[in-house]
Amino acid sequence: MQESQQVSSQSAEAPKVAIVACAGMDKALGSVARTTAFIITEKLRPNSTILICIPPLVADVKPYSELIKRYPVVTIDGCAERCATKIVAKTGAKIRGRVFVPQSAQTHNLKPNTASDIGPEGEKLAEKIAEETALLINKLCER
Amino acid sequence: MSLAKDKVGIICCSGEDLPEGTISRVATRLVLEKLRPYETVTLCLPLFLAGGEDERAFARVFPTIAVDGCSKKCAALGTRKFSGKPVATIVVSEILKKYLKSKAKSREKLDAEEMELAMKVAEEIAERVDEVLCKKVSK
Repeated sequence: MQESQQVSSQSAEAPKVAIVACAGMDKALGSVARTTAFIITEKLRPNSTILICIPPLVADVKPYSELIKRYPVVTIDGCAERCATKIVAKTGAKIRGRVFVPQSAQTHNLKPNTASDIGPEGEKLAEKIAEETALLINKLCER
Repeated sequence: MSLAKDKVGIICCSGEDLPEGTISRVATRLVLEKLRPYETVTLCLPLFLAGGEDERAFARVFPTIAVDGCSKKCAALGTRKFSGKPVATIVVSEILKKYLKSKAKSREKLDAEEMELAMKVAEEIAERVDEVLCKKVSK
C-alpha cells in the first residue's frame, strides 16, 4: 500500500478524494490517464487523495472495495469506453468528478506519442490535467 | 482470404498500486512491440473488466496469458471470472525474487535497472507464448 493510502488510515477524518484512472494498455491517452493519476496522488495532492487500483476493485479485494465507498471519487478516463467511470458506478460509490482525457487533449491541443512512451506533449498534457483536477480536489475537500 | 492465425492474448494487471504493476505493463508492451509482435495481442484489463464484449469474446476463443504485478493476481482472477482460465499466469513479484540485487521502485517511470527487470519479465512472457503456440500446433 502506498504512502497516500497509509496516510488515509492514520487520519481517517481528513477530507480525501479517491482517484480512479483507466490505465488502459491500448491507447496513448490511457497512458496519459495513468500518468495524470500519479502526478495528482504523488506530487500535487499526496495528502488529500488516495489512488484506487482498478483490478483489485473489480475483484472486490479489501481495502479497495471499502475505500471507494468512503470517499468522493474522481474518475480519469482515457477513451470513450470510459471504463474507470463504469467500474466505479458499478460499485455504488459516489462519483463527484469525471475527467475525460481525449477532451482535454483537444482543449490543450497536445498529442501524446504512443501507449509505451507518451512523449513530451503527453507529459505536458498529463501535468495540465493533473493541475486542473487538483483544483477540483480542493473544492471537494472543502465540502 | 485466410483464417486468423494463432494468437495469444496478454492480459496484464497494469496496477497503479505497486511498481510491479508498472513492470507488468512495460513488459507486456515489450512483448507486443519487440519480442513477439506477430504472435500476441493485448487485452485491455479495465475494458475487459468493465464489460467489453470484444475483449471477453477474444479471451474465450484464443489462449490468454495473465501478467500480474502481485500475488493478488487480479488479471488472472478477472480473466477466469469473465472468459476462462488463462493458459499461464506470470506474477512479476515472484520473478523479481530471482533478482535480489535489483528492485522495482517507481510506479510512474522505470529507470535503466527497472527496464532491465521489465525485459527479463518480457522474456519469460515470450517463453510462455512459444510454449502455448507449440502446444497448439502439435495438437
